[in-house]
Amino acid sequence: MSARKSAWLTFVALAIGLALLPLLVEAGLGRSWVRIMDLALLYVMLAVGLNIVVGYAGLLDLGYIAFYAVGAYCYALLASPQFGLHLPFWLLLPMGAGLAGIFGLLLGAPTLRLRGDYLAIVTLGFGEIIRIFLNNLNAPFNLTNGPQGVNLIDPIRIAGFSLGKTQHILGVTFSSPQLYYYLFLVLTLAAIFVALRLQDSRIGRAWAAIREDELAAQASGINLRNTKLLAFAMGATFGGLAGGLFAGFQGFISPESFNLMESVMILCMIVLGGMGNIPGVVLGAVMLTVLPEALRYVGDLQRNLIGHVVIDPDDLRMLMFGFALILMMLFRPAGLLPSRQRKNELQHD
Amino acid sequence: MTELIRVANVSKQFGGIRALNDVSLNVRKGEILGLIGPNGAGKTTLFNILTGFYTPTSGELWLNDVSMLGLQPHQVLQHGIARTFQNIRLFANMSALENVMVGRHSRTRTGVIGAILRHRRSREEEAAIRARAHELLHLVGISRHSNTLAKNLSYGDQRRLEIARALASDPQVLALDEPAAGMNPAERDTLKQLIRDLRDKLGLTLLVIEHDVKWMMSLCDRIAVLDFGEKIAEDTPDQIRIHPRVISAYLGDGA
Repeated sequence: MSARKSAWLTFVALAIGLALLPLLVEAGLGRSWVRIMDLALLYVMLAVGLNIVVGYAGLLDLGYIAFYAVGAYCYALLASPQFGLHLPFWLLLPMGAGLAGIFGLLLGAPTLRLRGDYLAIVTLGFGEIIRIFLNNLNAPFNLTNGPQGVNLIDPIRIAGFSLGKTQHILGVTFSSPQLYYYLFLVLTLAAIFVALRLQDSRIGRAWAAIREDELAAQASGINLRNTKLLAFAMGATFGGLAGGLFAGFQGFISPESFNLMESVMILCMIVLGGMGNIPGVVLGAVMLTVLPEALRYVGDLQRNLIGHVVIDPDDLRMLMFGFALILMMLFRPAGLLPSRQRKNELQHD
Repeated sequence: MTELIRVANVSKQFGGIRALNDVSLNVRKGEILGLIGPNGAGKTTLFNILTGFYTPTSGELWLNDVSMLGLQPHQVLQHGIARTFQNIRLFANMSALENVMVGRHSRTRTGVIGAILRHRRSREEEAAIRARAHELLHLVGISRHSNTLAKNLSYGDQRRLEIARALASDPQVLALDEPAAGMNPAERDTLKQLIRDLRDKLGLTLLVIEHDVKWMMSLCDRIAVLDFGEKIAEDTPDQIRIHPRVISAYLGDGA
């Protein structure tokens, strides 16, 4: 009873904390930091999705950002002046997620026999192909508007209530990033819930079995093809959903936002946080989104301390970021919050 | 006795090497059939063909008069032939219990929707999987290790766990590839008793590959002998013992 009570108290405290966070951050650090929090939530969603493919099923995917792109472009093209279409978000988000899921199957099908480094190379190619297509599909027929990207994308509107501008609710003023924060928070929590449920189920065990030993998994009655495709499709769906949200939030997207570096970054988030373990993955995503932004202050610090610029602030920022990554992997090789499996692998193998 | 499995004129070629040459073999319902032969005789190749891991170059395979040709391993399991591996293949970083729960995959149905919603049917199925897995761990005698990671189990217990995982699929036939390898004499005796129990109490049909001929003689109802990819004998242990081709295969032609 008391354990249950304390669990409830933790839950309520966490809920209040998460609800108040954007208000406090905007008051204390400014609106740009609320935007960073919004992006962090999107990255949590992406990392949780990629974790299904890489962490659960053990399929190394280096082109994951392509599904984010598919979701984002699905939203952007159908809710912007590009084609003069303005479909509602509740239709576009599932569409983008579903379309990304189909792309997940398209990537999964030809790579079923590949594992490890070989799979990584093919997925990397797939990610680049999608980006290059988006970059070049402005001729002969202008589908994506090419490198210029799609502009003036509709903000997300829930029953006429736009998240794209400041709103007053019950006497409290909410800025647009704050409104998006609440939407993203709800959807991210839903994504985490789905991922946790899948992990602890017949499906999750089948993924883990494939990761551990494909032959034994087959001998245990697991259909290798379907189970792998399911992992690719599920992961891609999360990516597509996050992509649609990103397009509505940002109002502008271009192929540049979906480059290889982004895929690598999301992979870093789950490796660093603790592959296969949801709390670790969430922590990794938040840290890797917030850290590079926080390191911007180091540039100011340099100027204040030394009086002039020795190293370009942006270079210094990325240098420190890389250094922090190396330190984290040195001291926590299994991730910040490793899964039980991961911890064991690194201890004994 | 009724014939459960019929292997008819099966050959398997790997490049220029003929691993199996025109092998025919019948497995009767409820028997313990041993498969012996020198190293490289094709015993494991025959197992791999029976369980869908290899497709034979030629020949036919029947289980209860249903052709097994061209089926994937998971489909063969669905039809009721389960196996273990010569070099133990467990899910090393999963607990013993989870290993057996995975083995239940082919007899359960919960999909993505059921996993996410956890409605009543999927909760009940999950509870049933867990209960059955505990039962099987108890049956093979390692229930006290249910939460131990598979790779931290002793060698003998790993072999037992692999059997429990195979049993989780409710098979008709259980194919054991060198189940006694690396076991001491006492462990071999308990394993022998376990295999007999599987036949007597669960009504399973067993196919066993093993090098310990003496152990096999006391366990099996019938024994088939492979040599250089060909079946040279198939008979009761007593007849196998005095079979001239078996003796020459094991001791050389000069014997």
